[in-house]
This record gives sequence, C-alpha cells and structure tokens, in this order.
Amino acid sequence: MITVALSKGRLFDDFVSYLEKYELYKYSKVLKDESRALYTIVDDIRFIFAKGPDVPVYVERGVADIGIVGSDIIEEEVFSYLNVSGLPFGKCHFALAGPPDVEHFNTVASKYTNISRKYFNAQQQPVSLIHLNGSVELAPILGLADGIVDIVQTGNTLRDNGLIEYEKILDVQARLIANKQTFYTKEDSIYEFLNEIGVIE
Amino acid sequence: MTNNKFILQRLALGEKYMSLLDETGYTLVDMNMIEPFSMDDKYHHPTSVVFERNNAMYAIRSDWTRTLLNFNSNFYSDDTRFGYFGPVVRENESFYQAGVEIYKVGEEDIINALLMHMDFVEECAETSIKTLVINNDQLIDLFIEKYELPDTVRQLVYTKNISELRELLGKDHDLYKIMSAKVSDQFKMVSSIFGDTEVMQAISHLKEKMADEETKFILDLSFRSPQNYYNGLYFQAFLNSNSAILSGGEYNSNAFGIALNLTDGGLL
Repeated sequence: MITVALSKGRLFDDFVSYLEKYELYKYSKVLKDESRALYTIVDDIRFIFAKGPDVPVYVERGVADIGIVGSDIIEEEVFSYLNVSGLPFGKCHFALAGPPDVEHFNTVASKYTNISRKYFNAQQQPVSLIHLNGSVELAPILGLADGIVDIVQTGNTLRDNGLIEYEKILDVQARLIANKQTFYTKEDSIYEFLNEIGVIE
Repeated sequence: MTNNKFILQRLALGEKYMSLLDETGYTLVDMNMIEPFSMDDKYHHPTSVVFERNNAMYAIRSDWTRTLLNFNSNFYSDDTRFGYFGPVVRENESFYQAGVEIYKVGEEDIINALLMHMDFVEECAETSIKTLVINNDQLIDLFIEKYELPDTVRQLVYTKNISELRELLGKDHDLYKIMSAKVSDQFKMVSSIFGDTEVMQAISHLKEKMADEETKFILDLSFRSPQNYYNGLYFQAFLNSNSAILSGGEYNSNAFGIALNLTDGGLL
C-alpha cells in the first residue's frame, strides 16, 4: 500500500482530468465521488486529500509516499523530499501586478513573501514586503501596498480589480514529489504508480 | 519518553553494542555534552545549539562525529577506532546516538565495520535488514566529466528531478535512462559505465560481501546525507521502518562513521 497526498481545490480537479486523459477511470471515478472525504482507497493506493501547503509536510514526514502539489508551494517553503517530476497541468505563473502607472514599487503585498524576496533581491530592488493570507488585490486598492506578487492564471481577477501585470516572475505547474526513504522501501509500488500515471516510461 | 520498556530496551541495546565494540578493539569514549564551538563549524553543523559564556562560544553536542574529531585533536590519540553511546541535541530535540568513527580508513575497514553493524542489527532484531541504500558523491562528478554536463545537472540529480533531466539531456542520454529507471537497477547501469573506477569497485566489493540475499542493495545517485560533511561513500540501512536503523559515510578523505539509530528506544 502506498499513500498519495493530493492538494484539494483546482489542482485536484486538474489531476482527475489528467487521470481521465490516461483512461485511468478506476482512480478518477472514485476520486470524483470521494473528494469530500479525508481519504479513499483504490486497490493498493490510498489517496489522502490535504490543503496544498500541507502536502509537502505529509510527504517529508513519510505519512504520504507521494504528493501532487503546485510548484508555488515548493518554491515558497523549504522541505526535504524528492522533487520527481513536473506534471502537465496546474499551469499558471507568478506576477508582479499593481494599478496602472506605478513608476516604482516601494511596498509590495503577497502571500508568497519568500518568492517575492528572492525576485526583488535578484533585481537588486529594495522593497518592503507585507505578508497577507489571501485577497491580496485589496492591498493596492486600499493603499496598503503599491503592488502585489501573486499567482495569475487567466488574469481575470487582476482585471476585475483594476490591476495590471507588470512582470512575469516565475512559471508554476503541478509537481509530483516523493518521500526520501519510502522511495527505497516501497520502490516497486511507487514505480508501478509512476508508470501508470505516465511520469516515467 | 515515559515508557519503561523502551527506556530499558534502549539501555540494554546500548550496553550490548558497546560490549561488542569493546570486544572488537574499539576505544570507547564518553564526553561532556558542552563543547567549545567556532562559528565556522555552523556550516557543517547547522542544527547545533550555540551559546556564549565568558566571551567564549560553546555548543551542546549535536553530532558525535564532531565530538570525536575534537577529542582526537585535543588528546593526540594514536587510536584510530572509537565507539560511543549517548545523547545529542539538534534544534530543540534530544535523542540517543550510538556508533563508531574510524580514522585512517581503507576500503576493507569500511566494509568490515559495515558488515559487523549489519550483523549486530540483524541478530538483535532477529530479522534481515531489508534495504541498504548507498551512494558516493564522486559518482556525479564522473558523469559531469565524462559527458561534459553543466553543473546545474547536479541539483537535478540530487532532487531526482526526472522531468527536468529529460528536458536538459533528452530521453536517450545515459544519465536520464539511469535516473528514470528503478533505483534497484541503478547499480547495474552505473557499473556498465563506470565499473572499472575506484568508486564503483568499492561499492561492488561491498555488494559481493553482503551474504544476506534478503537485503535489497540499492545504489541511487540522488541519495544524499542530511549532514553535509560526508564527501565520499554514504549509506543508510532499513529494517521494517521508514527510518534508517544504520547510517554513515566517509568524510575528511580518510575517516568513516557509522551511527545506530536508537531514537525510539529500540531497533526500528
């Protein structure tokens, strides 16, 4: 038995569609039905449903052998695991955004302050960063910050709030991560699953 | 820990292990947990708890390897094989470590010490070691040199980033084929390319001497120690748990250490 930690939300829906594309209906059908549960078991695979930022924690600690998580979370926090493969879904990007006509960003709000810090350091641009837990578009509207660093998928949320994208910072996509120990102790089952979902040929 | 059984089990195992080391010619050491510390040591021992007293820096022991190196440089001992059993503190956690450090070490010393430890664990646990994982940091250097690869490949291998390796090297590259194969197939594949090198010869000799066929022998180029002072051969052995029961490796070019995990009070 191996345990696969799945990020709830948009990435979960994308993963189910990905499984359907590979005609892995035995997984996709059960996952669709059980997405409100805490976990479900299909054959020898236990899928657990977790919040995105918790997936690397489960994998690092060996509670889960494999995790499907957005690279945004991997880039923001430091964990110890095997960063096995990019997956062809969950694609979006980090961007620096703000109201039109901002000449210089002095204060920037973001949920992802580590990624933001890395970006501004690379630009050799000193800024004051404010950590927010969500709805970061409010920050420039209310005057808390000049701009934001956030994930952009379609750009609709920015447009709806009168913001524009100034700079693309980093591509984001789903990734498959694995625990460093169980990759050896449960090798056969893990490789079988990786093969099945097309991560290795 | 408040479980009497685990506490007694750990002490009994510690005593049995130290007796074995005594019988096989190791010098046993027991040292003060508070050690002089230089901030330069922080790179190799980032989890050490460091403090200042009377204008001098000290640390609580976080690793017996460093303790033994200090011991040797202070007392100019001629002994080359040391054994220990006692607590260490890393970040905010303390746990028990037992193990050996061998200096001026050759391939045969390493193999013999490793086999002795595996036998000890198997005898105490009354079961075979299920998996032995091994790597030598010098192997990735051999790949980079032979195939003239960029240094960025190193990080992709360390994190087993198969998709980016495929993008960088292509599906037909030897290194990609090795990295995307099952880890238990890597030994054979790496041997076919670097079998005549000193590094792979040493790993082959160890594999040959491991008589227990129930132990799965895995060479994995991604396998690395959390302690960054290891710079040669590095290994971990697993019983039934996902935590290693034995771990260790080469450092400072001619030293080798093995640690026995007694964290949970018994053999994992």
